[in-house]
Amino acid sequence: MEASNNCSTSRKRSRDEDDSVPESHQSLPLEDNLIFSDTMVALRMMRAQFPRNDKVTAEPFVLQSQLYSSVKDRTQVDRELEALRREKVLRVFKLNTGQDDHALMFMEDYLKQMKRAVKSMETKKQGVLAVFEWFEVHVIGSKPEPSIGHQELCSLLSIGGKVKDEDISLLINAGLLTRQLIDSEMYWFVIPNIGSVLKGLTQGRKELLSLLNRKKYKEMMLSILEKKRLRLSPLDIRFHLRDLLGSGHLKAIQTPSGLVIRAVKN
Amino acid sequence: MWKEIGHRESGKLRPNSFINRIRSNRSSSLQLSNHKEIVSSHRGSINSLQVDLTEGRYLLSGASDASLAIYDIQRATEYEAGGLIAKHKPILVDKQHQNGHKYAISTAIWYPVDTGLFVTGSYDHHIKVWDTNTTQVVMDFKMPGKVYRTAMSSLATSHMLIAAATEDVQVRLCDMASGAFAHTLSGHRDGVMAVEWSNSSEWILMTGGCDGAIRFWDIRRAGCFSVLDQSHSQLGRRPPLADPSTTKVSTPKARAPHRKVGSGSSSKHSGNSKILKHAKGSANKRLHPGLLTSQDRATAHYGAVLGLKATEDGMYLLSAGSDSRLRLWDIQSGCNTLVHYEIVRLQSSKAIQLAVTQDSGIVFLPCMTSVKAFDVWSGKNRMTLQGHYENVNCCCYSTHDQELYTGGNDRQILIWSPHKLISDDVDNCDRRTEQPSAVDEDNWSD
Repeated sequence: MEASNNCSTSRKRSRDEDDSVPESHQSLPLEDNLIFSDTMVALRMMRAQFPRNDKVTAEPFVLQSQLYSSVKDRTQVDRELEALRREKVLRVFKLNTGQDDHALMFMEDYLKQMKRAVKSMETKKQGVLAVFEWFEVHVIGSKPEPSIGHQELCSLLSIGGKVKDEDISLLINAGLLTRQLIDSEMYWFVIPNIGSVLKGLTQGRKELLSLLNRKKYKEMMLSILEKKRLRLSPLDIRFHLRDLLGSGHLKAIQTPSGLVIRAVKN
Repeated sequence: MWKEIGHRESGKLRPNSFINRIRSNRSSSLQLSNHKEIVSSHRGSINSLQVDLTEGRYLLSGASDASLAIYDIQRATEYEAGGLIAKHKPILVDKQHQNGHKYAISTAIWYPVDTGLFVTGSYDHHIKVWDTNTTQVVMDFKMPGKVYRTAMSSLATSHMLIAAATEDVQVRLCDMASGAFAHTLSGHRDGVMAVEWSNSSEWILMTGGCDGAIRFWDIRRAGCFSVLDQSHSQLGRRPPLADPSTTKVSTPKARAPHRKVGSGSSSKHSGNSKILKHAKGSANKRLHPGLLTSQDRATAHYGAVLGLKATEDGMYLLSAGSDSRLRLWDIQSGCNTLVHYEIVRLQSSKAIQLAVTQDSGIVFLPCMTSVKAFDVWSGKNRMTLQGHYENVNCCCYSTHDQELYTGGNDRQILIWSPHKLISDDVDNCDRRTEQPSAVDEDNWSD
């Protein structure tokens, strides 16, 4: 997979590539890494195309809505993601940027990101803290779900050693866990240090949608849209286009002169 | 069509598969009916529709202006355009009845045994049982909060309980035989918006709450025996028989022996009992085994559960949530089957009513101003039925005629029926009445 971001690579072509790869059997676990499923191919491709510039310092992650825009059958995507999650190849995170937003990150990228956050925390506190290691080994290793209850977190961390309440505050301060408004007893796993990227995500979405809504017929040719640069978001336009196409806010229509992207009402 | 009838006659095609084939053909070609219309006299948005279960002839609708109406959907009251369009007027409309509801009616259901009684629930905290023939209120139950949904079991032979879902956290069972409350089911942490009786057992009730949880209750015991968790999932229709990767416990102690152990929920319960033993500082008094699930905070949706519908065979449950997701659950294993239905947005303030065809092939979901028909097993959007001017609240599928009735905030009830050729009727009409072709006639021509 080349890392070079070719602006002329259209979504249509990438979908054809995905469909031509043979599918793996759903009942077998993914031990046989030589055969990739459609979802795996799409994940790897999008990870390779994640924008790497000086404004974005996070490891690559993929939004679930981007997968829906590339692979036609959404049920298949959901099931393959579930299988991958159980195999601990990738982790799913629930984001707070909107309804039902999930970010997917490969395990090795997440561990790299986590180590960076832990290191910065440890330099601040001037000392090696064991709770981060317990977290990595016991909690991440055994809990593939995106959330964890308070009791379970304490019991898993105490396999490593004695746990105090301050340790959990350390984890929250390092950015590895958070609480959401839905439930006060549950902690949610998060990707540390991606706050600026998420802000760019929401603002970029709004900017792209308003760009299309301002047009007379609320549509624009894909070839022209791809070359635009977003002012408020460090992520490139292809990232946002995939995300909005997958979540249903935009529609791609085939016309005799190419693909046209239209903003969907309601 | 004739060939198939010939096959059936000779025995090449079984009668059941012949029927199913015709039914599924008809239900996949639904469009706004060109030969049937309901004249709705409601002045408020329509919140609930139900076709009666015994004959499939009467449609009961409840609206936001506290009015009720019953329509005879098989016999039209008058014909228009020379017999082409059948108009159905309401038989019974009730608005300023002295014992009627004061605020919006949120649910109206028929008594499952016959059409002599029906039950309505309203935002004025009351559930009333009405006698159809005399239009009088026979029984009145006062609830602690707004009533969102009521349900009666169609299989019940030994009880006549009305399950009421209100904005209070407890689900109440009202007994029609005695006029008192039979049970209170507690476990939800917020109001309950959806309630459904199981299609396989007269004792099992399923409720969906505003906290996002779906709970299964056996009304003969205390507490709920199962909470659906969206992270417990199975890949495909049947759970895998021997799955080495997920940890399972054979039989948790807190379970009555007669219930079949489902793989998903049992591991959750064993996890709970283990945690209770490990907890050192927290004060945990020994709870009744039936109430252990009150500590189970699993959610089926990230928002409120707006509608529940069980399939006719009693094996699967469909749930719609305000996180704009429709999920299909395997009831026996308690797992999410991960079928993804492509929905952009669902209205999140009101409860919605889903409909499923009898062979569980298509599910009809009201999505904002249209009704979307999805294939149940693959999640693909088969049809989008666009006809209402405002949000659609409820839909009801009639198995007898393969027709769909939808009601929405625009105060209209629309009928969607399989395509019927009008041209045949036009020719018939000409021969019978010997009048100029009815298609040219309009209301002001003389």
